[in-house]
Amino acid sequence: MRRRSAFVRLTRRTKALLRRALLPVWNALRLVLGPVDRVLQPLANGYNRSLGRHFGEMTGLQFGILALGFGGIATVPFWSPLFPDMSLNSTLALAAIWAIFAMSWDIQSGYTGYISFGHSVLSGAAAYTIGLLLLHHDPSMGPALTIPLGVLAALVMGLVIAVPALRLRGPYFSLITLVGVLLFTNLVFAFSEWTQGELGINRPIDPFTYEPWLRYYYMVIPMFLIAIGLTYVARSNVGMVLVAIRENETAVSDAGLDPTKFKVSSFVLSSIPMGIGGSLLVYFRGGPVSPSNVVELQNSIEMIAIAVVGGMGSIVGPLFGAFLLFFLEEELLREFFEESSIRTLVLWLLVLGVLVFARNGVFRVLWHGLGAVGGDEE
Amino acid sequence: MLSGLPTVLVNAALISALYALIAIGFTMIFGVGGILNLAHGALLMAGAYAYLLLERDTISVASLESVTLHPFLAFPIAVAVVALLSYLLYVVIVQFVEDNPVTTFLATIVVALAATEVTLHYAGSASHTYTLIPEDLLPATVGLGPVEGIRTVEVVGFAVSWIAIGALWFYVTKTDSGRAIRATSMTERGAQLTGVDVHAVRGRTWLIAGALAGIGGIFLGASSQATPTMWLHPLSLAFIIVVIGGIGSIKGSIVAAYLIGFLQTGVGEYLGQNFRGILSLALLVIVLFVLPQGLFGREFHEA
Repeated sequence: MRRRSAFVRLTRRTKALLRRALLPVWNALRLVLGPVDRVLQPLANGYNRSLGRHFGEMTGLQFGILALGFGGIATVPFWSPLFPDMSLNSTLALAAIWAIFAMSWDIQSGYTGYISFGHSVLSGAAAYTIGLLLLHHDPSMGPALTIPLGVLAALVMGLVIAVPALRLRGPYFSLITLVGVLLFTNLVFAFSEWTQGELGINRPIDPFTYEPWLRYYYMVIPMFLIAIGLTYVARSNVGMVLVAIRENETAVSDAGLDPTKFKVSSFVLSSIPMGIGGSLLVYFRGGPVSPSNVVELQNSIEMIAIAVVGGMGSIVGPLFGAFLLFFLEEELLREFFEESSIRTLVLWLLVLGVLVFARNGVFRVLWHGLGAVGGDEE
Repeated sequence: MLSGLPTVLVNAALISALYALIAIGFTMIFGVGGILNLAHGALLMAGAYAYLLLERDTISVASLESVTLHPFLAFPIAVAVVALLSYLLYVVIVQFVEDNPVTTFLATIVVALAATEVTLHYAGSASHTYTLIPEDLLPATVGLGPVEGIRTVEVVGFAVSWIAIGALWFYVTKTDSGRAIRATSMTERGAQLTGVDVHAVRGRTWLIAGALAGIGGIFLGASSQATPTMWLHPLSLAFIIVVIGGIGSIKGSIVAAYLIGFLQTGVGEYLGQNFRGILSLALLVIVLFVLPQGLFGREFHEA
């Protein structure tokens, strides 16, 4: 037995005490939610029979809450006028872009356990490709041409990073991806007469549309498509191999599968939506493509934070995590704290709390709780 | 062009001493717990700001409104504060997650980002400068042979760096509690079997690493300036140095600090300041692929 310090023991005891104290509350909740679960069960059964094979089965309550969540996100422009002093349309559109980032990060890092600190390099490659094209090639190029090129750049960047970096393991892999971010930032500064350095490429970039509600859908529809695609992959045999790599890489290679091939594929797979997200970010912001906006380390860490809060290795968790964190930072916390540094600090502390005390993420706890209401084996 | 060579060499030696100070704490923490402490840069920043808070009046924090201590008093207090912060970081956060290196990675970098926001809140985004060596004690610059105008604070930093390294060397080789640290970093189980309280060793290591980071941070801030994002650059330096020197090896870190210091100063002088960082990052990538255990490192094969 390893000796634990007094502080760890104390925390453990507090947790156990808390769990015991909350048991009556949980029982009462079950009493209320049980009937709801049974009412929704037929709907869930219908889903389980048709699509459950591809996207995972669920209980009535889980189905209900998921439908509610997706429905809420899909109809934001319809209910956002109910909150006139919030700017939900633009906040949540930005959240959708970050949801794309967090989900892409998740399919690579959350599933294989090879934690990348460098995903902002992928979105940054797409953003800088678009910026440089508009700056040096032809300012009148439209998104129909620039976005595919941006995604292609992200894909190439993904390959360039993945093939050598995935020879390394554990912290060394994380380290080298982190170096990738620093290197990218340094290169932008080094060639600043070409990339316009710290201030960034400031071209007037036309957004897709100036109608706020329509712009929201320009961000959310790609997000939903990416979510469906990534969930499908994650629930397929490929996803199972990726999880197996996380749990025991030697076992995977003993089973006759080449782990490196799967790791590289998952990195490249994740770089495609990263490219899409990076391009959307450029057109959404319309503002400068600068290191601090798209590349710097903070961007990568924010993606990870979103995925961690939502629950790594679940695709849907990071999606809701993005909406939760953006809603907290830009809207809810704004009611209490004027200063943006305090709001960001509160969020970082929240992320830290989740990391240390609830490693599996907020939504996974909720999800399993809802699944357990019916008293099934889960 | 080579006429500036003596200046370059002297500057490189001075900055390398600072780099060594920055990197040693980082490598010690990796040695005993296998933890890459990405909040190390934040501890450096804490050193600079703690000193600034005690010695000058440019930041207003309620309870320390008009405190202006003499540098010789402010310096040890600031170092002690950082050592304590480092210890708390271990006790409150890191020891809960240290069994999982990746979670530790994430938690410590989140601490660093949170530290940026705290600094932004109290001190604003502007950069602050301070003097470490009182003007009436020593002149601001000194000459050394053909090289004129070396900043005194950097010379003092050089001396302090070597004093700290000497003290650390004495501690880890000549005293029992120091030898326990070295034993733990060699083999944890072996240390446990010989009656070393591994847990206490970890706490002590964080305390010492924090003190070194405090000293490094104060000199770093004095030789340039204190800003809320000053942690990132030294952090990246620390792990470039530590990976090249061999993770966990104090000797390796010192050698690599001088290697990187001379490389960066040379590149900055002859290729342009913008390329300073790139070449060392490229060197790091090469070392990671060709010689992952570094110059003086050994593989950690312990279960």
